[in-house]
Amino acid sequence: MLQSLVHVCLAGISAGMFIWLVASGLTLVFGVLRVLNFAHGSFYMLGAYLCFAVLKAMGGNFWLGLLLGPLVVSMVGYVMERYLLRLVYHLELPYQLLLTFAMVLIFDDLVKMIWGAGSIGSPAVPGLSGSVSIAGREFPVYNLFIIAVGPLVALGLYGLLEKTWWGRIVRASASDREMALSIGVNVPLLYSGVFMFGAWLSAVGGALAVPYVGLLTTGMGEAIIISAFIVVVIGGLGSLKGAFLGSLIVGLLSSFGTRFMPMLDMFLTFGLMAAVLLWRPQGFFAEG
Amino acid sequence: MDQHETTRRDFLKAGLVTAAATALGSGIVKPVGLWAATPNIKGPIKIGYLTVLSGTLAGYGEFHKMGALMGVEEINAAGGIAGNKVELEIRDSTLAAPACIQNARYFVDSWGADFLAGVDSSGQALALAPVVGELDRVLMVTHAATEKLTEDEVFKKGIKQVFRICTPTYQDGNAAAFVAKDLPVNTWATINPKYEYGYTTWNMFKDTLGKLKPGVKFTAESWAPFGTTDFRPHINTIMDAKPEGLYSVVWAGELITLVKQAKQAGLFDKIKHVMFPVGAAMDVLEGLGPEMPDNIWISGRYFFLYPDSDRNKEFVARFHKRWNHYPAYVSETAYSTMYAFKKAVEAAGSKETGKVVDALAGMELDSPAGHRVFRKEDHQAMYEVPWGLTKADPKYPFKIMGKQIVIPAKEFFNRPPFEGPGTHPPFKDSK
Amino acid sequence: MNQYWKYFLMLGCLGALVGIGFVSGPFVLYLATRIMILCIFALGYNLLLGRTGLLSFGHAAFFAIGAYGLAITSIHISAHPLLGILIGVTAAALLSLCIGFFCVRHTEIYFAMLTLAFGMMVFALIWNLRSITGGDDGLYGISRTAISLGIVNIPIRKDYQFYYFVLLFFVASVFLIHRIYSSPFGLALAGIRENHIRAEFAGLSVKAYRLGVFTVSGAFAGLAGSLSALLESNVAPFSAHWSHSAEPVLVSLIGGLQTFSGPLVGSIVFVALREVLQRFTYNWMFWFGVLLLAIIIGFRGGIVGSISDAFRKYSRP
Repeated sequence: MLQSLVHVCLAGISAGMFIWLVASGLTLVFGVLRVLNFAHGSFYMLGAYLCFAVLKAMGGNFWLGLLLGPLVVSMVGYVMERYLLRLVYHLELPYQLLLTFAMVLIFDDLVKMIWGAGSIGSPAVPGLSGSVSIAGREFPVYNLFIIAVGPLVALGLYGLLEKTWWGRIVRASASDREMALSIGVNVPLLYSGVFMFGAWLSAVGGALAVPYVGLLTTGMGEAIIISAFIVVVIGGLGSLKGAFLGSLIVGLLSSFGTRFMPMLDMFLTFGLMAAVLLWRPQGFFAEG
Repeated sequence: MDQHETTRRDFLKAGLVTAAATALGSGIVKPVGLWAATPNIKGPIKIGYLTVLSGTLAGYGEFHKMGALMGVEEINAAGGIAGNKVELEIRDSTLAAPACIQNARYFVDSWGADFLAGVDSSGQALALAPVVGELDRVLMVTHAATEKLTEDEVFKKGIKQVFRICTPTYQDGNAAAFVAKDLPVNTWATINPKYEYGYTTWNMFKDTLGKLKPGVKFTAESWAPFGTTDFRPHINTIMDAKPEGLYSVVWAGELITLVKQAKQAGLFDKIKHVMFPVGAAMDVLEGLGPEMPDNIWISGRYFFLYPDSDRNKEFVARFHKRWNHYPAYVSETAYSTMYAFKKAVEAAGSKETGKVVDALAGMELDSPAGHRVFRKEDHQAMYEVPWGLTKADPKYPFKIMGKQIVIPAKEFFNRPPFEGPGTHPPFKDSK
Repeated sequence: MNQYWKYFLMLGCLGALVGIGFVSGPFVLYLATRIMILCIFALGYNLLLGRTGLLSFGHAAFFAIGAYGLAITSIHISAHPLLGILIGVTAAALLSLCIGFFCVRHTEIYFAMLTLAFGMMVFALIWNLRSITGGDDGLYGISRTAISLGIVNIPIRKDYQFYYFVLLFFVASVFLIHRIYSSPFGLALAGIRENHIRAEFAGLSVKAYRLGVFTVSGAFAGLAGSLSALLESNVAPFSAHWSHSAEPVLVSLIGGLQTFSGPLVGSIVFVALREVLQRFTYNWMFWFGVLLLAIIIGFRGGIVGSISDAFRKYSRP
């Protein structure tokens, strides 16, 4: 029983950390730009494919792929923000959502045109490929690595937003756009920067997910983006702390649900989301 | 690529030709068997193909396409069907029923298709069956496996236009039970897809194995929703139950993920007998490569190294030369479908649906997958696909079937009328 | 003068629609029927989105309940299409009343997310209640039996017969929704949209109005679902999936949110575009996405809005 519980927890935490990497960028972008980006899942997919492409070109070096792939994706993010999103900031919410939805269709087909329609098997990461025995059952080293990476990213974000000049500007313009403009912040540049950073985070999530999932498929972004939406809503739109805790909750909930309440599956997460929205629409962990 | 060959003008031309053919054609000459003597087949034979070309399973559509295209190319190079050129058009029918129905209607009502083929998901096949009945065109199903299609729609409801060339769920459920009965396993568990295909196959497996080996126990079930990328929670459920055997019809990319994650959890060390009824699919074998463990029971709808016949070897060699891939099972079923249409039309001396249905029912077809017979009652192709244990082979960069078991189709295919005693295996007449 | 033009245009459209039933081949009839069903879905939906600005991602659930309501009635109770439609629409209206009760407390993104959550719970329910809904296989083989009205039986089995059947519902829906727009209820909604605080001061219960329009649009979604089950002869759980809820949003935005005829034009463009794109390329998603971008950026008020704006500009100076 102990063994079972330990492993259900571990599986939940590692699943939560994968979602966190995507949700963090989503909530950050929403907090500043006030745009909920469907195509955030596409950045996840692009991150995975580009990391894989670099890995293949560079003789199997995963770390180089992890470094370069997401950088390219953040460039894609820049183009999308600068030349498309910027045109619809003043329009209503449905137009913004629709634009990002159109981008999902485009990115999906682009990936299919470039890399082919079939799913691609991807190799494990050298040095992180084995398993260790925890409470008498094997657990992948790679997932332990992910469980460590998640909080590190959270810490990094905390430091970036709380301790740096750039972070203070981001927070200032997130809470009051007019004021930021009036004190001379270059808001368009800031928006581009935040959007690129969000895209980069999502792409890192995609690149890191590939060795665990073991394959790349077009449309892999759609599955994760709904989980990320749920997490961001539970945590409170725009709240990074909330998104982190929300990721953990959703990961653990689906792991425990699968093990102990298998018939409830989707009800658990969507039910939780509905409950949070009804009870505390500003999110579980929203400050104030 | 083929899409661009058929330009708008070709559509118009083809439309005129078919219109002319229907105006002049039918009923002047009675068919006498040999097509040379039956000039009432006019114009190109048009085949509309429905498969998934977008989303996570788009790779299957590509494999369908390769098989179907190669079949058409070969047939056209050898003079076509009854002297007529074959035209093929393929449409992305996704996995949703409305898209599939719209495409089928387009093919028949607008493009002028004589035949329909393909269909990936069971839901699509069941929804499409009554529609092709109304449209009155032959539909050859090459992938969807639900037994309800042939048992209910064709046999019970009498939709004669529907045929199936691939093995149905009998291969995944019943045949697996015949293999499992001889294994030293008394407790079985499953990680199966959380949809009808998963429920049906597991029930079939339990039912048949329970009869073949009374006393065997089924101890745990974990149902993975479509699109699962993290099987760890399901693997936990199974490992907590400590069964001796694991059965799973999880397929395509999800099976690759499942195998990799199960391996990391040490599942294959703890559970010695594992069965993947669709594990012999090429996308899975190639996707896993050397990572597929040894001594796993796998099967499929066709495996390119079986049967050991010249017909099959030539097919595999040509396919590999043409596409630089080994044929997936949907490639074989798509390819053989083209030859099934050819044989049926030439035997019927007509491409009229009624006559082709009569020719196809009970027809024998020599195909790469072996000798097929389309059962008269339910229009299901009877043929054998082996079950085998995975092993490495220096000739291939992936695992192949080592030890193989072939269970005769007669022994494990449900029999008409599909209800009551003597319709489900095991049967008394087979030892 | 303007009024006359409108009536003239409307009569022309109606005449064309009746004419299509006479002259078209079966595939065009099928597509036209599909477009009309999508129109009913989108017109009802745009009552909510266009009039109150509420973006719902849960309307696919009401569509699906309408479809399943008809399918279950037709399998277990009676194959009479009108009874099935009645039950389907009632079920959809009741469900949207229940879900709407919770959802209308919020607006904007919170409303969208709440409807998404409830819609997906309905999806999960349909997927899991296999003995009733057939699981992912759905319910299939729904036949279009003749409508018996005591003395006469009106057949709707053939494509053109069913086309006129749907046309009847389509015209009725357009008429009804048009009436709702210009009714006191519709005008109150517009007032709420402009300024909900002032509306509240004026003594309007904003939530009650929102719930009312949510329910009405849910009922139209149910009607579209019932008709679609008859057209396709099957219903599957993905009709309740959130991605299906995106369809009326797309259609309304393509046509134009603030115009009555926007969803009509949007539906035609949506169905025809995909059908045409598929004839030329396997990468229809890519081109569909590109055209969507062009419409959002190039026609900000939707196609109808932009054209009528341009027309006004042209005729004024």
